[in-house]
Amino acid sequence: MNFVCNTDMTERLKKKVLIIGAGIAGLEAAVQLMNLNYDVEVIEKENFYGGHVKQWFKTFPDFQDTKPLIDLIAGKPDNLNIHFGSVPGFAEEQNGIFHVITDKNLHIHADAVLISTGFELFDAHRKEEYGYGIFNHVITNADLESFFQNGFPETGKLSLRFGFIHCVGSRDAKAGNLYCSKVCCATAVKQAIEVRQHFPDSEVYCFYMDMRMFGKQYEELFQQAQEKYGIHFVRARLSEVNQNFDQSLLIKVEDTLTSKPMKMSLDYIVLMSGMEPSVSSQSIATLFGIALDNEGFIKVSKPFIAENITEKKGLFVAGTATGPKTITETLNDARSAALAVHQYLNSK
Amino acid sequence: MELTGKQKIWEKYQKEIPSDSYYYARSCIRQNFWPGSENTFIKILREELGKDIKDEAHHTTCTGIAYHSDVVPLETTMTVVARQFSLMSESGYEHFVPSCITSFGLYTEILETWHEHPEIEQTIRNFLKESTGRTFEKPKFLIHPSDVIYSLRYEILKKARYRLINIETGRPLQCVEHIGCHYAKMFPDAGVGGAEFPHVLAGMVEAWGGEVIDYPERRSCCGFGFRQYLVQANRGYSIANTKRKFESMEPYKPDLIVTNCPGCPYFLDRWQYVISEMEGKIYGGDGYGIPALTYEELAGLVLGYNPWELGLQMHQVSVEPLLRKMGFLYDPADKYVVGNQIIQDRPDHPDVLKVL
Amino acid sequence: MSELIEHLKNDIRIRESLNACIHCGTCTAICPAASFYDYDPRELTAQVHEIISRQDEDKLKELLSGDYIWYCGECMSCKTRCPKDNVPGVIIEALRSLSQDSGLFAESEKGRQQLMIKRSIGEWILNYGYCVVGDHLNLDLFPEQGPNWQWVLDNIELVFEKQGAHFMKEGSGAMRKVPQQDLDELYEIFKVTGGLKRFETIEKFSETKAQQMGMEFDETHDCEYFKHVYTHNSKK
Repeated sequence: MNFVCNTDMTERLKKKVLIIGAGIAGLEAAVQLMNLNYDVEVIEKENFYGGHVKQWFKTFPDFQDTKPLIDLIAGKPDNLNIHFGSVPGFAEEQNGIFHVITDKNLHIHADAVLISTGFELFDAHRKEEYGYGIFNHVITNADLESFFQNGFPETGKLSLRFGFIHCVGSRDAKAGNLYCSKVCCATAVKQAIEVRQHFPDSEVYCFYMDMRMFGKQYEELFQQAQEKYGIHFVRARLSEVNQNFDQSLLIKVEDTLTSKPMKMSLDYIVLMSGMEPSVSSQSIATLFGIALDNEGFIKVSKPFIAENITEKKGLFVAGTATGPKTITETLNDARSAALAVHQYLNSK
Repeated sequence: MELTGKQKIWEKYQKEIPSDSYYYARSCIRQNFWPGSENTFIKILREELGKDIKDEAHHTTCTGIAYHSDVVPLETTMTVVARQFSLMSESGYEHFVPSCITSFGLYTEILETWHEHPEIEQTIRNFLKESTGRTFEKPKFLIHPSDVIYSLRYEILKKARYRLINIETGRPLQCVEHIGCHYAKMFPDAGVGGAEFPHVLAGMVEAWGGEVIDYPERRSCCGFGFRQYLVQANRGYSIANTKRKFESMEPYKPDLIVTNCPGCPYFLDRWQYVISEMEGKIYGGDGYGIPALTYEELAGLVLGYNPWELGLQMHQVSVEPLLRKMGFLYDPADKYVVGNQIIQDRPDHPDVLKVL
Repeated sequence: MSELIEHLKNDIRIRESLNACIHCGTCTAICPAASFYDYDPRELTAQVHEIISRQDEDKLKELLSGDYIWYCGECMSCKTRCPKDNVPGVIIEALRSLSQDSGLFAESEKGRQQLMIKRSIGEWILNYGYCVVGDHLNLDLFPEQGPNWQWVLDNIELVFEKQGAHFMKEGSGAMRKVPQQDLDELYEIFKVTGGLKRFETIEKFSETKAQQMGMEFDETHDCEYFKHVYTHNSKK
């Protein structure tokens, strides 16, 4: 059997931590653990680090560029030991040592493992009545970020009407997700403002259920969206999308604050897809033999006091792999996980 | 509009449709207004495709209209449905095929309820036994006749004498497909293609050469509304809903409407006449209106059947202009010839809507 | 707890179709009745929630005695969309059942219309085995059927024969005469399951109401009360 063994089993000066997933949670934890003098090895399925944040244009509430932010988190990238384009294919624990083999046949022996495999966005195709993938100009929040980064397709129209649809794939028994994805409201406000900045002649509507503006400066951003940018907020949930004869989009909603059912034509509909447990997280849970919670995210040992610890000794978790989080929360969670790993390895 | 997105949805909602041995339960409305359609269904299955379909005399209404007009209690309806199943088993069949869409929705809902609440099923068994001495088996498959025709649409194509093509322009006929609400809105998995982009009628139209039109009010109810139509004081609801659909489909210039519900073609047909009288407005067809067909009538036309045996004379909106578009050869006078008798009477003409 | 509230809570349709509501309005957005009537299925759901959670019998009686529960067309478009698996259309079914069985339907203009439906659809089921029967669907009751339908009615036997139907004939086929033994079974089913009882209740409370309103009442379609409930619409 040919294999590449990255660790010298006979002589190890530093304890080794394997981190699965090089999104911002994995990166932050890696940097913290390296600063605590551990040997850190990272496996990442994509060929870049930074995960979802890398694919986002700007953050909320402060409109920071994501690229410098990721650079800040990652520190000196040459210091990081990341294996790109790899996923774990085999995992086993014996006497406190985890033996993991990647799909590229890389063998890693680690004293602790940190799972930071993140989330996936709800596939908006599943809300068939919204016509994603069927009608032109029905896009998701991710598609919009991509347009901001790479440029908007030509529409031939000067003044466009945008409709942002909150809670797509969240708070929805029919979509299979009862929970709230937390960050979509703030994201929608951010993106609505960005659209108004990008298209000064545009008219922007946000169709919301609740405005979950819980974080620092979020409520102020919401106010600014209304006062400075003239964004209209309608308390309604999108019921159906159709296409008009002129190819514009026709939506049916009820303005629940005035009890009026209404139809409206829009040029673009932006579906705020929620966060779902990633397939990677779920398959890794299976691989390591740990449980998922009711919503399909990785189950943590104890709410509040042990949210980075799984049921398996030496196996830790950080970031959105356990549930929806903001960037701030993810980074805090990653540091908290690093500390938990450190405490565990110290006591070994 | 992207086709691949729709195709993904159609692949997701493929339901199993048995290929033979059907117990047919007729529809109250269709027997009255579209009897030719029901007979055509039986004829296509038996004579064209050699299938076994049972059409026996003892079954009755499922009470669906009465149930949805709320004059009949739930337990009564469930027990009548149980009796229908009993007749099915008695005849030696397991595949239940109700002609009406409201029935289909009702049977599906009742079977679901019994599945989730076996104690209710037992209560109904007791009721049936007490009132009629009968027992019943639940059907192995519950499917709608439009599902059956859908599953056989390529078999029908093989025997087609006409296609859904305008012979003057060579272009496919522009077809509006209207799915009865109770087909898939309640249980999307019960419908071919689900509730949002159902494929059961679109598949037929496409297989037979036509083109399906999507328009903003496609998924809207035709406006039957049961008591909202039956009671004259409420009838405005019904016509308003249908009118909304017509206004929405008009720019797309449909050549025909095809439906799979009993009530829907009735409303889509008659309200065109009423709107023409009340408002002077006709929605197409050069003053003749848009013919609203059942899927059996559409299949029968494709197979070249006699339009008067199909029952096209039952429509207020004349279907003859469509026949001409298709290049369909037919005898207009045969409408009034029944065996060796002749109907002398001719229908009166409406004041506004043109008829042939 | 009041009997009425108890009855409502135990109806399988309420148990299955009334869950938590977040007032998103996806039901009202596509409801045909909400477009054309002053009706809002979301608000109806809220009212029923309040009635049940506060066990407010007075409010329930008020709801069952009013027009509001009679606007829905039972198309079930709401069921497809609700993110909480509520079904306002089915909640309506439970309310209408209770309204009739308790007699309160007779207190509202729209509720009183049930008499017409009972005497047409309801009676045709027991007499013929069908919900609708050709020659009863005349242009007096349903003028919108058009002149072509009049011609069909005038020549019904021949027109039906042309299509292979057997109008009111023995044996199988469209519009056949349903055998008496089957009509008898239907009758027994109605008797045992409470169907007849509901018909009687509708008649009884309608008669009382006719007296109160000072209108003539008999068992035909021609009496003053019947014509009134069939045609009267105070909100033209």
